[in-house]
Amino acid sequence: MKIAYYPGCVAQESGKELDMATRWVCRNLGIELVEFPNFSCCGSGFVDEANEVLNVAINARNLAIAERAGLDLLTICSTCQGMLTLAKVRMRDPKVRSRVDAALKPLGIEYKGTAQVKHLLRVLSEDVGLPAVKAKVRRPLHGMKVGAFYGCHLLRPADEMGSESAEEPRSFEELLAAIGATPVEYRGRVMCCGFPIQFVKPSTASAIAGRQILDAKSHGADAMATPCPLCHLSLDAYQNQAAKEVHASLEMPVFHLPQVVGLALGASPEELGLRRHLVPTDAAIAKIRPSAPA
Amino acid sequence: MPDATISAPFDIYRYRPGQDAAPRYQRYTLEVAPHTPVLTALLKIRAEVDPSLGLRYSCRSAICGSCAMQINSKSRLACETHIGPEVERHGRVVVEPMRNQPVLRDLVVDQAPFWREYDRIEPHLKLDPRRPMPEGRATSMTPAQVDRFKETPRCIACAACYSACPAVEADPAFPGPMALAKLYRFVVDPRDTATQDRLVRIQPNGLWLCLRCHLCTEACPKDVRPSERIRDLKELAIAAQGGTEMGSRHAIGFKENLKDAGQLNEMKLVRATYGLGGMLGQVGQGIRVWRKKPEIMKRPRRIEGMEEVEKIYAALDPPPKEEP
Repeated sequence: MKIAYYPGCVAQESGKELDMATRWVCRNLGIELVEFPNFSCCGSGFVDEANEVLNVAINARNLAIAERAGLDLLTICSTCQGMLTLAKVRMRDPKVRSRVDAALKPLGIEYKGTAQVKHLLRVLSEDVGLPAVKAKVRRPLHGMKVGAFYGCHLLRPADEMGSESAEEPRSFEELLAAIGATPVEYRGRVMCCGFPIQFVKPSTASAIAGRQILDAKSHGADAMATPCPLCHLSLDAYQNQAAKEVHASLEMPVFHLPQVVGLALGASPEELGLRRHLVPTDAAIAKIRPSAPA
Repeated sequence: MPDATISAPFDIYRYRPGQDAAPRYQRYTLEVAPHTPVLTALLKIRAEVDPSLGLRYSCRSAICGSCAMQINSKSRLACETHIGPEVERHGRVVVEPMRNQPVLRDLVVDQAPFWREYDRIEPHLKLDPRRPMPEGRATSMTPAQVDRFKETPRCIACAACYSACPAVEADPAFPGPMALAKLYRFVVDPRDTATQDRLVRIQPNGLWLCLRCHLCTEACPKDVRPSERIRDLKELAIAAQGGTEMGSRHAIGFKENLKDAGQLNEMKLVRATYGLGGMLGQVGQGIRVWRKKPEIMKRPRRIEGMEEVEKIYAALDPPPKEEP
C-alpha cells in the first residue's frame, strides 16, 4: 500500500529512532511511504490552546496536501493523529469551515476532507492485517511481557477520534500478541503520560508518568511500548525524574511501537535506534526466549 | 418469556475508615438479566444479602448525579451502567468508590474537595449593581450567546470527571474539570461583569495544569465535554492577558515557534517558555538527553511552502472577530 508519511516534528528531531524504526518496518511490510517536504508541524495541542482556528487551518493545509496526491496520511504520533483528526472534525462546523476556507482559498489550497488520517497502529491492524504481520515475524518476542501505553490523543475524545473503544482498546495488545509478546493488562495503559504539562510543572508531569510506569511494572511488565513519541519522552527521557517523584526505582525500558514490531521482524537494535534511549532496552530484550528452529 | 439471566460476579470495595484495618473486596454473585443496571444489583445485594453495604444514590435515572462510582476502573453512574457488557469484557464487575475523594464508607466518598473547588470559582453571575440592566431585559441573551455555553448546564455535578482526572490525582492545585467547565460558563456569559477578573485569577490557579487527556470528557455522563471547555478557557485567558504563566507562555511560544520554519525548534521553545534564566535549571537534564539525542540542538529545516503557512498566520492570527 501507498500512504503519505506524516512523521511529525519529534520523530525528525529528538525521537529520530522512531522515524528509523518506522521506515524499517514499512519497508519490510510493503508499505510505501510517500514524503511531502511541505508538511508542517501539527501544533501539538499547544497551538490549539493559543488559537483554535489557526490550528485548524494549519492542519487543513496538511490534509489538503495529501488529498491532492490522492493519499491517506500515516501518522506515528498520538498527538499528530489527534490534531489532524480534530481538524477534520472541526471543519464540519460551517462557521469554522468558512473562516478557514477564506484563509486557504487565496493560496490555491482546497480542503475537501477526503483523506483519512491513520496511525501506524491502525495501518498494521487493519490495512496490513495481523496475519500478514505475523507471517513476517522472524524472532517472536516470546517471554517478553509488554505493557501497551496508548497515549491520550489516539483514543480520546472517542466520538471524534472514532477508531476503536477508547475505554477498552484492544488493537495494541492484539498486535503485541501477534508478534509473540505477552501483553500486560494494567489501568495506566489508557492514562496520560504527563507530557503536556512537562513545561508547566515538571514535578506533576513526572509524578503522573511515574504512576503509569509503576502500574505497568507492578503488573509484571518487562517493558512498555507506546505509539507516541511525546509519551516516549515522558516515559523514557524523563524517567529519572519520574522515579524521583514516585520514590521508586523504575528502570523500565520503553519502546516505540515500530521498534517492538521491528525487533520481532528481525531488525537489529542499531537499525531501530535502540541505543538512543535514555533507559537501556537490553534487559527487556534478554527476556526473549529463543524459539526452536522450524 | 423472561430474559435469559447471567451469573454476574461482583467484587465490591468494603471499607469503614477508623474501624477496618484495611479495605477489602467482597464477592457476591447474582443471577441477573444482562441489561440490569449496576445500581439495581447493588440495591439487591443491600436488601437481600448484606444491609451494611454503604452507597449513595437517589433518582436511579441518571439525573441526580449521586451514584457515580468506579465500575471496572472507570468512573461512571451505576444507574446507567449495564451489567452484561461489563461481565462480557472483564469477566466480573469490580465496584469501587470514586477516586480523588476520601472514602467515608464503602462506596460513599466525601465530596468536600470537589465542592470546595466549585465554590472557589464563584459560580454565580456577577452583575454590576451600579449599572442595572433595563427592566425586563436583565436576563435576556441572544440564542447565539446561549449557544456558547450550551453544554455546561447539562452538568449534574456527579464528580465522575473529578474522579477520572489524573491532574487532580497528582496535584492539589488543579481545580478539576467540573469547576473549570463551570468557570467557562460564567466567563462567556454576556451578563457577567467579572470576565477579565475571572480569567486573570484562574491563570495562576491551576488552569494550565490541565493535561488535555480528555479522560473527563470520556467519564462525563452528560457530554459536557469539560476538556474542550478548558481549552476554550485557555484561549480566552491568553486573549485577555497574554503569556503570564508557564502554560500560556508555552502555548504562545509554540505558536510563534512554528512561524519560523513550520517545524518545531525544540531548544527555542524551551527558551521561550522558561526564559534564559529558567533554562539554567534544565541544563542537567538537557545534557543527559542531548548525549543520546543530539538533534535537540538542531535547527529544523524550513519546510517547503512556508510562505503558505506565513499567509495563514497573517490571515488568522490573531483570529478575525466573529460576526455577532
